[in-house]
Amino acid sequence: MSKCTWIFFRQVYFFISLLIFLCLLLAVDATASEPATSKVNSPGSELWMNVRKNMATGKVTSQVKSVDSNVLINSYAQRWTQFRMTQLINYGLIVLLAVFSIIFLFYVIRGRVKLSGGLSGHMVHRFTDYERVLHWVLAIVFLFLATTGLILLFGRPIFIPLLGHEIFSVFASASKEGHNLFGPIFLVSLILMLFSFVRRNIYARGDLTWLLRGGGIIGKSHVTGGFFNMGEKTWYWIVILIGLAISASGLILVSPNLGQSRIIMELSHVIHSIGAIILIAVSMGHMYLGTKGTEGTLESMKTGYVDIKWAEEHHDRWAKECHDNNRLISAEDYAKLQGKIIQNAKVSNAMEENK
Amino acid sequence: MARMKFYCDAERCIECNACVTACKNENEVPWGVNRRRVVTINDGVPGERSLSVACMHCSDAPCATVCPVDCFYTTDDGVVLHDKDICIGCGYCFYACPFGAPQFPDDGAFASRGKMDKCTFCAGGPEEDNSADEYQKYGSNRLSEGKLPLCAEMCSTKALLAGDANVVSDIYRERVIKRGASVLNKGVSYQNASLRASAVLKDK
Repeated sequence: MSKCTWIFFRQVYFFISLLIFLCLLLAVDATASEPATSKVNSPGSELWMNVRKNMATGKVTSQVKSVDSNVLINSYAQRWTQFRMTQLINYGLIVLLAVFSIIFLFYVIRGRVKLSGGLSGHMVHRFTDYERVLHWVLAIVFLFLATTGLILLFGRPIFIPLLGHEIFSVFASASKEGHNLFGPIFLVSLILMLFSFVRRNIYARGDLTWLLRGGGIIGKSHVTGGFFNMGEKTWYWIVILIGLAISASGLILVSPNLGQSRIIMELSHVIHSIGAIILIAVSMGHMYLGTKGTEGTLESMKTGYVDIKWAEEHHDRWAKECHDNNRLISAEDYAKLQGKIIQNAKVSNAMEENK
Repeated sequence: MARMKFYCDAERCIECNACVTACKNENEVPWGVNRRRVVTINDGVPGERSLSVACMHCSDAPCATVCPVDCFYTTDDGVVLHDKDICIGCGYCFYACPFGAPQFPDDGAFASRGKMDKCTFCAGGPEEDNSADEYQKYGSNRLSEGKLPLCAEMCSTKALLAGDANVVSDIYRERVIKRGASVLNKGVSYQNASLRASAVLKDK
C-alpha cells in the first residue's frame, strides 16, 4: 500500500467517523436535556421577560395614574400593527376588488335580469314613506362612513403622493371627524331598521329552496320568495348583526375616556375593520341587484310601489297574498295617485306664490 | 450621525419620579398627558425594580408605520418626531406603540382625542428651533442647544441614560461587566438584591 492511498483511506475514515459523531450529537440533542453548564442571564433580559409575564398578573404599578400606565410593554401592539399593515390593507383591498370584479363579470355574462312578462301597469304598495326614508338615511350614512373609513385605511399610499401631506391631512381630518359624528346616526337608524323590518325578515318555509337554487342562478325559472326572499333576509341580518358589531366597536374606539385598555381598543379595531370590509363587500352586491341588476327593483325604494309582475316573479308568495287580499292598484288609479301628488305640489306652489 | 437613545438601568432606578416631573415642567405638557412615567415591578417585594419609560425613539417605529397621514419623521439624530399640524388624532399610534408613549389630550368635541403628544427627546418639532410656536406645541428644544433631555440629565442615580446610542451602551456595558464580576464573586449587593435573589435563596 502506497502512502498516498493510506492518506486517502485515513481521510475517508475521518469523514465517516465525523458524520457518525454528528448524527449522534443530533440524536443526543433531540432527546437529551439542557447542557450541564450553568447559565448566567443578563439581569436586563430577565427583567424584560418578567415584565412580559407580569403583564397578565398585574403586579406592575406606576405613580402615574392613567389607563394602562402600569403596562410596561403591550406585546399585542406589534400584533395589531402587523394586522393593519400586512393583513387588513392587503387582503381588504383584494376582497373589495374581487367582489367588484365578480359583480362586473356577472353583469357581463348574465346581463340585467329582465321581467319575462314585461310590465302590467298594475301596482302594489310595498314600502311606506317611513321605511323608504329610513332606508335612504341608512344607505347615505353608510356610504359616507364607508368612504371616510376607506380614505383613512387606504389614503396614505394613494393620496399623499397626489396631494401632499398638508392637504391630505385636512382631508383625512375631515374624514375622521365626519366618521366619528355620523357613526352614532348609523347606529340609531340601524336600530330603527331592526324594529321596522324584523318581522318580515324571519326565515320561513321556502327559503331553503331559494338557497339550494342559489337564488335563481341555478336553473331557468324564478325561485320562490315571500315579502323578502332568502337572499334579502340574509342581507338584512348581515346588516343588522355586523352593523351592530361595527357600531359597538366603533363606540369603544371613539370614546377613549371610558377607561378601556389598549388591548380592548386594538381588538375593537380588528372587529370594526373586518366587519366594515365584509359589509362594504356585500353592500356592493345589494347596490348592484337593487339598481342595475334587476328590472323594477329600484321602483320599490323610489316610489314605494312595484308592478305586480315584478312581485310575481321575485316574490311569488307575497304576490299571491296581494292577489288574495285584493291590494292591486290599477294603472289608472296609480296614475291618479301619482298625479294627485304632483297636483298637490302644484297647488301648494301656487298658494305660496299667491302669498 | 449619532443615533439618540434612552436607556433606563433598572438596577439603579429608585422610583423617585423626578424624571416625570422634570419632563412636565420643562415641556409644559398638556393636561392629562404624561410623556414619561416610572413603572415599578413587584412593588414592595424584595427585589422590586423600577423603570422610567417614554418614547423609545425606535429605529423602525410602529407609530410611523401605522399613521394614516404619515406625520412622523426621524431626525438625523435618530429622534422620532411628529408634526402636530398634520396629526389628525386618530389614535392608531397609541394602539401600535408597545410602550404606551403616544398620549392624547382630551380637548376635542365630546372629549375626543386631540393632537397626539409624546416625548420628543427634548428636540422640539418641525418648526424653527426654539421658536415660540415650537415651544407651545412640543415643549423645549434642548438638543438644538447641545443639551440632552432633562429627564436623563437630572436623574440623581444616573439610572436613566440618554444620548448617542454608542456612548450609552458603552456606559451600560461597563456597568454590566462590573456587576458580572460581583455576581461571580457571589454575595455582593447587586446579586442579593436582584430579581434572581429569591431563586438563589431557595437553594440555600
